[in-house]
Amino acid sequence: MRNGLKEWIDGHVTITVRGKRFERLLNMAIRDGIRIWNIRRVGEDLTRCDILIRDYFRLRPLLRETGCRSHVEGRGGLPFWFIRLRRRAGLAIGASLFFLGLYMLSSFVWSVEVTGTRHMDPQKVLLAAEQVGIKEGAWKVKLKEPLVLQKELMSLLPEVTWVGIDFQGTKVQLQVVEKDAPVKPLPTSPRHLVAKKRAVITKILPEVGKSHVTINQLVEKGQVLISGIIGNETRQQVVSARGTVRGEVWYVSETSVPLTQNMYRLTGENQEQQYLLVGPYAVQVWPFNKETFVHAESTESRFIPSYAGYTSPIGWKTVHTAETEPIQRKLSVEEATEIAKRFAREDILRKAGKDAEISDEKVLHVTTENGKVYLSIHFSVIEDIAVEQPIVGAPQPPADAGKP
Amino acid sequence: MKRWSRRLRQLAGGVLELPQDVVLEVPRITMIGHLQMYIENHRGVLHFSEKELRLLLTNGQMIVSGEQLVIRAILPEEVLLEGRIGGVKFLETGPQGS
Repeated sequence: MRNGLKEWIDGHVTITVRGKRFERLLNMAIRDGIRIWNIRRVGEDLTRCDILIRDYFRLRPLLRETGCRSHVEGRGGLPFWFIRLRRRAGLAIGASLFFLGLYMLSSFVWSVEVTGTRHMDPQKVLLAAEQVGIKEGAWKVKLKEPLVLQKELMSLLPEVTWVGIDFQGTKVQLQVVEKDAPVKPLPTSPRHLVAKKRAVITKILPEVGKSHVTINQLVEKGQVLISGIIGNETRQQVVSARGTVRGEVWYVSETSVPLTQNMYRLTGENQEQQYLLVGPYAVQVWPFNKETFVHAESTESRFIPSYAGYTSPIGWKTVHTAETEPIQRKLSVEEATEIAKRFAREDILRKAGKDAEISDEKVLHVTTENGKVYLSIHFSVIEDIAVEQPIVGAPQPPADAGKP
Repeated sequence: MKRWSRRLRQLAGGVLELPQDVVLEVPRITMIGHLQMYIENHRGVLHFSEKELRLLLTNGQMIVSGEQLVIRAILPEEVLLEGRIGGVKFLETGPQGS
């Protein structure tokens, strides 16, 4: 029936009407669509009521007709506010200038703080930051993206692993993570280098210690290659032997490969399903009817919005299902042999350890039986054969070793 | 004629289960305790003072008596009255009208 907001925006006045025929005035005003509210008698022939400003001017001919007189007692609403504001222009300008100033001042960098330095001087970080533009009094609008600044700052500071740039209002926080000093090699105890396997030496490079074998020599497992005891009978010292010893090792590998192979092939039939994730539940949204494939591969991708460590409980999941069909592939004996050789090579290299290389391979035997190809292959592999063996019970103190 | 139309209206109201105020052109009054009163279907204000509101109806008058009465809002057919309402009285000008 009443609209308080409209009354306030349009502006209203409180008037008192003096006259004997107020009821008639009221009826005529209502018929003309004038809105009057809060009508109350304040005395004999005296009534107070509220009315919109524009209706007040329409009321005047009616007042004359009924012989009543009106007097404005109070004003309220937005138009009167504006008038009051115009009277106090200084206040209005001051208030708007204050907000403008606050906004402008908040768009500058007022302080730069460095955290996380342990050995480095924070001043060095501040100087580097000044070069990329982060300094007290810098205008934040002119600065580049934090990620770009971060990259530039990191290239200026080589002794730093990572720099985080965090704008907190007018404060810039630079979080520095320093590089750790390189790890020093652990001091090792006195040791020999001995053979890991039965092998023929192809290369021996002693760095510390005395070599006991030569190239093309056959060594047995456990035989000392580089000794940690140096010197002659009169002057001896125990050291931690170090060096590279490579040798040729022989392996015989047995592999078998079936001639028929089962594989799956995509048929091209596929479908996508959308799910709404609510907490731990997934609700299927679209499409409702799920086509069932006998063999299928499916991949799913999830989208869960998260911000600043908070993860939304509601997410989206898309499952893509592609139908596959089984097919059988027949291999010829040559193909199967190739595959078997490849398998055998991989297997051997795994056994031989890293930086091993196959110097020679020889197929000893191929048989086809029960739909499978059986192979035995001989490999010569050149690999690192040295392994450390601590020296126990040897003359321990090296300082005394020289003076028997 | 007038009696016929009235009987027809009453009959229609009974058969179709229409609210009586729609059919008979009588006021519909909603009261919230004795504090507020909402009157629809009036035909104009005859008298208003702190103690009494007299409204014109289609058939007669309605007198609301009370204390500190204030008309919170008024429209051509509706009145929202507030105050301490003491009583409501109807004056009928006869079944045929004047």
